[in-house]
Amino acid sequence: MATTTNTLLLESTDLFDDSLSISNTSTCYKAGTTTGLDQTTGLTRLYATSVTQFDPFPAVKDATNRVKNGKVYIANLSEDETEFITVSIGDAVIGKLYAGDFLWMPYSPKASLSSDIEITPSVATGMFIEFMAIHDFANIYPDSIDTRVYPDA
Amino acid sequence: MATTTATISLASPDLLTNSLAFSTASTLTQAGNSTGLVTTTGLARTNFTVGGTSPFASKVIYRANDATSNGANKVYLKNLSTTASEYFTIFIDQEEMGRLYAGDWAFFPWSAVDGTEETFTVTVGGTVAAGDSWDFDGITTTSADANLNNFAAAIHAQNFPNWTTSISAPAVTFTARKAYAAGVVTSSTAITGDTITDLSGSDLTMGITSGVVGTRSEADIIVVPSVATTMDLEHMLLYQ
Repeated sequence: MATTTNTLLLESTDLFDDSLSISNTSTCYKAGTTTGLDQTTGLTRLYATSVTQFDPFPAVKDATNRVKNGKVYIANLSEDETEFITVSIGDAVIGKLYAGDFLWMPYSPKASLSSDIEITPSVATGMFIEFMAIHDFANIYPDSIDTRVYPDA
Repeated sequence: MATTTATISLASPDLLTNSLAFSTASTLTQAGNSTGLVTTTGLARTNFTVGGTSPFASKVIYRANDATSNGANKVYLKNLSTTASEYFTIFIDQEEMGRLYAGDWAFFPWSAVDGTEETFTVTVGGTVAAGDSWDFDGITTTSADANLNNFAAAIHAQNFPNWTTSISAPAVTFTARKAYAAGVVTSSTAITGDTITDLSGSDLTMGITSGVVGTRSEADIIVVPSVATTMDLEHMLLYQ
């Protein structure tokens, strides 16, 4: 069993009259247990040079994953404050990550193509994007093309 | 300008054969510039004791009306449960994002793309007499005199539960407080649910001169608990 901890610090000295300081640490567990998540896509650093939407993670094809407790990290590494990436899930836009922004969210994919996470860069001039999933999903990678059966084969 | 920073740290000695440790810090700014976010709902704690049977009743935690559409808004959520099996399912509109189990937190951007608020303009016409009244949205406004503009002003002075008003006497424009198909505006010249009481036969009219049907937001953040018994969610919205 792996132990992966995630910590969020949210701090401000002047957002309120009093200072704000939120600190949370949790461990990435499998759904409903205290057993650690034991798979990861690895931390990917991508240089995106197109505004075409893409899937940062493999399309999840096993509907049993909808009861899993995956975690997703995505960061926009751009230093240009006008550049953003739009993060979507299925048919819904979650939001825009501007330069330096990150997200950390749960991910319980329902089925292939219907709840994929998608990223759309705002510019084609090149942006570094970082992303990672920690999970215990089943069958997340597509079948090898060699095993597919085509109608005209 | 406020300076608010968010920092995430991920660490594991054994997820991979080598240890994993990284940290990312971000200053929360408005969309496309370096001005800090200055508005927030504050840190809230909401209890979910929904009763009934599964599927349990959901709650809208944040409506898209609450923030600027396509702004650099940020949402923080934490499941305060200490029972490992208890979770909140997080939705953006009808799309399920995932499950937030006991102790888990999430921090993500939110575009908050809003729908359209219904709106219509009603113009006080004909003649009005003291005692005439107009009822709408459960609020009855009674004219104090025979002046059309004064009656329009009296309507505008009311606090309607589901509508805000603006005035260009004798016309009063109503705008729904939130984006949804309220069903009140049926066309550009008709609304439902209003009643004129013309006590003295003074020929009072309340003509609708324009109207726009509302559409629902498709970006509200909705949370569903996994159990009917008590669960607490901590949440905060930082927005433009």
